[in-house]
Amino acid sequence: MSPLRLLAPRTVVRAHCDLPCGIYDPEQARIEAESCYRIVEKYLANEDPTFRTRAIHIKEERADLVKHHLDVLWHDYFKPEHLEAVPNLHQLFWDANKQVSKVKASTSLDDARKLLDLIDQVDAAWKTTGGEGKTRVAGRPG
Amino acid sequence: MTVTGPRRVRGALRPGAGGPLGLRGLRGRLKGPWRVAVAEASMTPSILAGDWLLVDPSVGRWPRRGSVVVFREPGSGVLVIKRVAGRPGDWVPFSDAWLRLADDEAWLMSDADDEALEADGHGRAVDSRAYGPVPVEALVGRAWFRYWPVRRVGRLPKPPVPAFRRGPGPAPRD
Repeated sequence: MSPLRLLAPRTVVRAHCDLPCGIYDPEQARIEAESCYRIVEKYLANEDPTFRTRAIHIKEERADLVKHHLDVLWHDYFKPEHLEAVPNLHQLFWDANKQVSKVKASTSLDDARKLLDLIDQVDAAWKTTGGEGKTRVAGRPG
Repeated sequence: MTVTGPRRVRGALRPGAGGPLGLRGLRGRLKGPWRVAVAEASMTPSILAGDWLLVDPSVGRWPRRGSVVVFREPGSGVLVIKRVAGRPGDWVPFSDAWLRLADDEAWLMSDADDEALEADGHGRAVDSRAYGPVPVEALVGRAWFRYWPVRRVGRLPKPPVPAFRRGPGPAPRD
């Protein structure tokens, strides 16, 4: 074994920096929220207890994904300088995340609809601060 | 800050409060790591990816501002390296407000600035600005000497890092 190998540390420490892909789109959250909406619809139309249990389970899963996607936008995409263009940004994300919690706990279509509306507001904020041109790869066939 | 005798003893008795041995106990501390290799670029230019450092794992409390420390990143638990920018009791700017660090917390920052990192194709540095204050249980050791590469062998520079000044109004943005 070479002397250098002997000297080499066995522990690696990271001087950590992010490597974000830079791809963001509220559509991801919106699709999961639409799933929640549709699941609530189906839940209300079906009396079968097994079906209803499954529906609730899946709704909670999807709602968790909504939260995740909202958080990624909030923490990673939006930067302090965006607050000038969207002064109510933090309130908006707070409200949207709270609404997800509500959708998790309820089977009301109104709640699910309200979540969609809030995500549309996030979408508007995303568009004001750069939107598709900045955060999606261009060239997808229309 | 000088550490007086009684404080030191009190600290040692409180589990995890950063007494001389902390939570890991003497044996845990002496196990190391004594040597580490650095990956990634957030400590540029003082410490580069690929540097080999000597670590003193016997520290049980946050060393003074400007020291380079190895610790477990909150959340992920990965071993990371950063510089102490705030010690217990210091005020630090956090998200447009000021935050006072608790008895066992430190504020750990990267050396590299975000623009330079992004220009080099890295992402933003991940440090206390992202995960907040770090409790002393996460402290693993103090890096103090670079022994590789040869042309940069020597003690790690420890620039004087002034405490954040808590002024009126919102914190300065970097």
